Amino acid sequence: MDAFAFLRRRTFLKLGIAGVAGLGAAGGGLLALRGSASAVSGLGVLDAHRFRTLLAVAEAQLPVDGASAAAVCDRLARLFDGFLQGEPEENVADLKTALLLVEYGPVIFERRLTTFSHLAADERRRHWRGWMESDLAVRRQVSLAFRKFFHAVFFDDPAVWPQIGYPGPSLWGTPEEAATP
Amino acid sequence: MSAGAILDLSLDPRQRDRTVDVLVVGSGCAGATAARALARAGREVLVLEEGGDFTGEKLTQRDGRMYDQLYMDRSGRMTSDLSMSVLHGRVLGGSAVINASDVVPVSDEVLRFWQKKHGLTDYGPETLEPYRQRALADLRATRISDDQVNRANRLLMEGAASVGAKGEVMLNNRVGCRGLGTCLIGCPIGAKQNPRWVAIPEAVEAGATFLCRARAVRIDDATAELKRVSVRVLDPDGYHEVDGFTVRARLVILAANAIGSTHLALRSGLGNAQVGRHLSLQPQLGVVARFNEEVIPYRGIPQAFAVTEGERFDDERGLWGYRVEAIMGTPGIISALLPRVGPDVMTAMAAYNRIAASLVLVPDEPSGTVGLTKAGRVRIDYQHKDNHKERLREGAKLAARCYLAAGAYEVEIPTNRPVFVKSERDLALIDAIPFEPCSAPLMSAHQQGGLRMAPSEADGACAPNGLLYGTRDVYCFDSALYPSSSSSHTQAPILATAQFLSERLLAKS
Repeated sequence: MDAFAFLRRRTFLKLGIAGVAGLGAAGGGLLALRGSASAVSGLGVLDAHRFRTLLAVAEAQLPVDGASAAAVCDRLARLFDGFLQGEPEENVADLKTALLLVEYGPVIFERRLTTFSHLAADERRRHWRGWMESDLAVRRQVSLAFRKFFHAVFFDDPAVWPQIGYPGPSLWGTPEEAATP
Repeated sequence: MSAGAILDLSLDPRQRDRTVDVLVVGSGCAGATAARALARAGREVLVLEEGGDFTGEKLTQRDGRMYDQLYMDRSGRMTSDLSMSVLHGRVLGGSAVINASDVVPVSDEVLRFWQKKHGLTDYGPETLEPYRQRALADLRATRISDDQVNRANRLLMEGAASVGAKGEVMLNNRVGCRGLGTCLIGCPIGAKQNPRWVAIPEAVEAGATFLCRARAVRIDDATAELKRVSVRVLDPDGYHEVDGFTVRARLVILAANAIGSTHLALRSGLGNAQVGRHLSLQPQLGVVARFNEEVIPYRGIPQAFAVTEGERFDDERGLWGYRVEAIMGTPGIISALLPRVGPDVMTAMAAYNRIAASLVLVPDEPSGTVGLTKAGRVRIDYQHKDNHKERLREGAKLAARCYLAAGAYEVEIPTNRPVFVKSERDLALIDAIPFEPCSAPLMSAHQQGGLRMAPSEADGACAPNGLLYGTRDVYCFDSALYPSSSSSHTQAPILATAQFLSERLLAKS
């Protein structure tokens, strides 16, 4: 499921220019706010910083909490990275810009001296909801793009189906059978 | 006559250049119909299809893989302001493989409108009638039987009756349907009588060859006897171009959907200043109702009943008003439709078995354009006019009234700040929905125009016989030709006009 062809270059370039210009005007010190990101092995497109932002988006968007949340979000974020490998370069560039803007969302839209990945879980979810409900079209666009991707993949998992009472596709058997490779 | 074939070029990307009599771009309702007609007339026909051939177990009924593989741009095609998802197929058989199997022929009123308003004198109801009938026969069209109307559709039907709104159980093109419910991601048992199971096998039997994972990227020498078409071979998943070859053809027929055909003409620099204009997207808005009873909406035919009370005909604009049609999707699609974050997602999806959903469909003025990005990709600009928004609101209100009358405890218009209607009093909330860009889950499934046909070059990109002005024997046979909305569902109209145009072409030659 594509959430990324969704991200059109023109829109995100505009957003990216505005956002990066704003950061530049505020001084290079702001760029240090995001801190360092641990190296992540096995990525095809995203760097460690953007992958960390993506993980944080997944954790904010998806209905996951507790011990399994990190593993679920890591799996979905890696699927996202894999998905990007099949996308045209311009869409990948847009998506990278979107992730950069999400990371600096608290700075740009709430004038806070911290970045998305560094917000506490509750704060991050509140901030992320602000993207969905925003009066700015670009924030709604980013929110919808990630929601489309993460929901399509998350709810395609047979392990999730019992939570919503969905028995799975009718032709190919039970959720357990559907989960069998 | 020797039989043709269906070949997947991703399995053998190194193709030699070739010369054929007729090259058809696209294998959906228009392309398959044209290929069959021309092959049966003894013409050598080659068909290019960007997508793969998905049948049987390859249609997994699962969101992720199927939306990725069966839809253009992996289902991510959007208008440039990201307001509307533009959905069409990229698979052997075209959009008919992933549609809701609704059959709504082009009406006499629309055809007379095209004659009177757009000067398409040859498109009279009497002339087109045999082709409309032929389309219905190809589709094996029948009215959906009462026992096939599932609970979700029945709730809309009962609600419409309660509020006195006119509606109808729809015609469809299913034979042997087992109610799997995943029509929008293909029917693994082949119940849909679409081109994949009707026109394509018949075209192959008549000698036509269909090449899958073959993308036409440019047409050169469009005024020469032999047109030169550059083709790129895609990888097995259709993500990347891996090789290429050239096809030279005496006749080229564009049949790659209104957007796709227009895009190819633009990329090739073909035609006049009308190319890319007059695009109609027919916006649709999702509405979700929640009930206390078990609905199990994802089993059975997803789209069986339509509320037609708001549908009307406008002498100046053609098909007009709105209709409300039941619909349902797999969990990923429904959850993506609902504007929720975190735990609220699961709270909303916990009612998955107890929801019924509809689409408000608005026939629009052709206020869009197809253009090119700097990288040569499709750019769709669309002016969402106030009258479109107003009719979406009217349709959403009617849908809400129907569901409330049927017992829904809540109806949601899933805008970015969702609107909840729990009583008639709340209907006024819908009037305040602004439909700002990317604030509502709008989608388009019936794109028309872009290469509008008109008797004069000043008014259209194609002649009434489908010939692309400024070319020699480059035709368009799909919905890109339509000067206004042909129908609320384009499958049957495209089959009819493609057969009509094919026979005219053969008669001329």
